[in-house]
Amino acid sequence: MPQHVLELILFSTYAELRAERSRSYLGLIWWIAEPAMMMGAFWLVFDVILNTGGPDYLAFLLVGLTLWQWMKSCITHGGYAIWGNLGLVRQVSLPVLVFPVVQMLADTIKFCFIFALLLVILWIGGYPPNITYLALPVLFAVTLLFAAGGSFLVAAIVPLVPDLRFVIEQVLTVLMFLSGVVFALDDVPSPLREAIALNPVATLLEATRGVLMHAQWPNWIALLKVGAISAIVCVAGVALVLHLSPRYPKLAN
Amino acid sequence: MDTPLIELENVGVAFSAQRRVGSGRFWALEDVSLSLRQGERLGVIGRNGAGKSTLLRVLAGILQPDRGRMRRSTVSCQLLSLAVGFTPYLSGRDNAILSGLMIGLRQRDIVSRLPAIKEFSELGDFFEQPIASYSSGMLMRLGFSVAIQAEPDVLLIDEVLAVGDAEFQEKSGNALRERMRQGHTVVLVSHDETQVTTLCDRLLWIEHGKSIREGSRDEVFAAYHEELHLVGGAT
Repeated sequence: MPQHVLELILFSTYAELRAERSRSYLGLIWWIAEPAMMMGAFWLVFDVILNTGGPDYLAFLLVGLTLWQWMKSCITHGGYAIWGNLGLVRQVSLPVLVFPVVQMLADTIKFCFIFALLLVILWIGGYPPNITYLALPVLFAVTLLFAAGGSFLVAAIVPLVPDLRFVIEQVLTVLMFLSGVVFALDDVPSPLREAIALNPVATLLEATRGVLMHAQWPNWIALLKVGAISAIVCVAGVALVLHLSPRYPKLAN
Repeated sequence: MDTPLIELENVGVAFSAQRRVGSGRFWALEDVSLSLRQGERLGVIGRNGAGKSTLLRVLAGILQPDRGRMRRSTVSCQLLSLAVGFTPYLSGRDNAILSGLMIGLRQRDIVSRLPAIKEFSELGDFFEQPIASYSSGMLMRLGFSVAIQAEPDVLLIDEVLAVGDAEFQEKSGNALRERMRQGHTVVLVSHDETQVTTLCDRLLWIEHGKSIREGSRDEVFAAYHEELHLVGGAT
């Protein structure tokens, strides 16, 4: 990658975060406040009202939502990035992959803040740090790879078929409920449960919860499978973006 | 003569008419040929909708030809565009860096030129303010001051020679003419005949996406005027 493209990616990420901070009165506080409000809403509905969870439910929910929000924002923000920058694509000759990468970087930086807060809450709540934390970098790398794969695929197609955005939001909501983000999949009846367990997001969530809540090492074989699938999707997504990129400057957004 | 930097042979570019299933295509460029050599200043003339801007975007590497052949040596071509990538909530300074990176400059180069950009744009303390607070004139001045920093091998200019109020128009026009005189290879698209006459030594005349004539300035201009006169006389 030419150095000037790397500089462009880093500075654009800084600009993205900085602009986002200046767009609202409370700025940076929203990075934390927005996910906190969403977690509060889910906790209210599923724990207090529906009484879904057991004693571990709050931690279960917080870990699930933190990770899911990171994946989801990478897929949607990154996925809409080329489409959102078509005006720029028509003006200058740039590698279009820059746009989704910048969005994913910005979302990952925000995730780091939220994750730090999550750790503090877990420690206070009786889930102390443990040796299996060493597996977290691997877990996060695979999670990011999975999100990037989805992001590139969506980013490639949305400029051509912007209508897809309406479908993607719904697909992601269904995926969230089928991945054990808000309720444990143990409650799902048997044949369906095995099918859902094939879902990479479910594997990643289970592994991360194991580490953070139960000091359990991840199932490395399952993780390797998810990593391999994610890598394939990622390569396919990048290839599709590159294949379609001559068409983007001719599109209106 | 040395080999051309860029050569187009019967190049065509098609667009979809609209975003509908099964909508047809139209050819914004149908059949354009040209060759551009080191140090040449080529003017592109033709009436509205002739495909001049599309041609510049092909030369800039933004659009790829759908038919015909384009040969280019390893040169950087940059379309001079104002306010590339400007973001409302960022300061003039940050926007200048972002825009500079997008038009192909290295970060250290653009940073070292920030004082010059600030001075040329006449923004004063506003340079540190978010550009959302700028007037349209201030935005154009900042846009031009950044755009003129680009240093491609081939500079492509699309009728933005002068922006802003009368005073800044003269200043920006002078800065651009200065750049062109420094011996850069330039392709200029303009309606302003005096501008093309003073700045270019060769001309390409295109009409309805087809190149009609390419050659020395006087020769092409004579033919172009004759045609305009004929058409004007007929109606």
